[in-house]
Amino acid sequence: MVDHVFTILSIALIIPISLFLGVMYSFLIRKLSARFQWRVGPIVRMYGDLAPVIGSTRIWQPLYDILKLFGKDALIPSTAHKRLFTWSPYLSLFFSFAAVLFIPFPGLPLLSGTPYSLIIASYLLIASILFTILGPAASGSPWGAIGARREVELFLVAELSFVASLFVVAVTKGTLVISELAGFVGSIPMMLVTALAGITMFAAMLGKLHIKPFDMPEAECEIVAGPYTEYSGKLLGTYFLAKVFVLYNMVALFIAVFLPPLSSSVLWLPLYVVAALVLIFLLAVVHVLNPRYTIAKALMWYTKIIVPLVIVGFIAAFFLRVVA
Amino acid sequence: MGLIDRARIYSPWVYHLHCGGCNGCDIETLAALAPRFDVERFGIQLVASPRHADILLATGCVPKQFIPMVKRVYNQTPDPKVVVAIGGCACGGSLFYDEDPENYAILGSPDMLIPVDVYVPGCAPKPEQIINGVVQGILKLNEKATRRSK
Ligand code: SF4
Repeated sequence: MVDHVFTILSIALIIPISLFLGVMYSFLIRKLSARFQWRVGPIVRMYGDLAPVIGSTRIWQPLYDILKLFGKDALIPSTAHKRLFTWSPYLSLFFSFAAVLFIPFPGLPLLSGTPYSLIIASYLLIASILFTILGPAASGSPWGAIGARREVELFLVAELSFVASLFVVAVTKGTLVISELAGFVGSIPMMLVTALAGITMFAAMLGKLHIKPFDMPEAECEIVAGPYTEYSGKLLGTYFLAKVFVLYNMVALFIAVFLPPLSSSVLWLPLYVVAALVLIFLLAVVHVLNPRYTIAKALMWYTKIIVPLVIVGFIAAFFLRVVA
Repeated sequence: MGLIDRARIYSPWVYHLHCGGCNGCDIETLAALAPRFDVERFGIQLVASPRHADILLATGCVPKQFIPMVKRVYNQTPDPKVVVAIGGCACGGSLFYDEDPENYAILGSPDMLIPVDVYVPGCAPKPEQIINGVVQGILKLNEKATRRSK
């Protein structure tokens, strides 16, 4: 009984936490990329004389963008498959939010102790991305279709590396429950295999989060706005909200699986925050340092470098299991 | 002021509607978005699709072949929206506009086709002027939104 009450309470608590952290992470990526490009980016402390008119800070910029979109009309193109077009953003948001519940946060184990939670969480994340493909594909716009096609191709390779690197760790540690993975440190060879899987997972994250060089599905200005071309108003806002949750999920999952025991107890919270900041910093650095790859190059890169690395990891993990 | 109204002021997204200028105004518009003036610090962002935009930055005088595109982009922008005309051409057709005899290729300023809310004159206007025009546009945007919600 007490357990149930605690789970419900922690679910109520994770909603604001994940939203806050997701918005913070997106803000940091924007701000850091701006600083690397010699720009100011969303301003942290507004100039004194302007503050009364336009607000004292822009830390919440990603949230303002989403809120503004909720206050705008949503246009639905006449060529679109209406039901799929309007429902996809909501389903994407639903799945990305559902994944939040299966990934532990320091002090809040949530549902991460459920059997097979690793598989559930990765399926939910895949489902969320699937609906960012289906909606645009149903929009009837050529740009949406091109964006969706690129997204599918990237999805195939990035998802393969993502799931495979998670399973390398699962095989090493012999469990499919995220909360057990998050508390299990293991021996030195295990750590080495986990570190290798962490590198491939980071590469998979780049593809899943559309960090440059893998932002070709969106490819601002090249194919208009890619999958989001036909979306406007609250439908677009819902997609952006889903993206915020996906960003939070990826960072939280990375820390839970590859950096145990950071998300196992509330005492680790400061280190958890540091790890998340380092991860976001790395994502921002990769984002600004790279040009956009063509889709063929991205596929080559994933299949020639990341997938072989994951296979090496798998073999090592298998040996560890058999030896241990 | 409600949260959404405030968000509207804090995050105006602009779409660059090129109506056939000489590129002078477009270069100045991009200069306003580039590192030196960097309007992203106030949340102003350039978007690639008119469906995401709040403010249309129209530059240049409209050639006759461009008429359907300009109308279409305007209709594709969801309400509430504001059009800011940038440059002498977009404000009144400038030297390309002729009433009699009519210019065989150029229709004139974009306000002959779509309602324009803010005019930024100059050939080409400086980035500071353009930013000021966008700020006036944001105020109009807020006015329009409150009128609409009533
Ligand atoms: S106003 Fe001047 S700079 Fe701008 S488009 Fe016209 S001629 Fe070119």
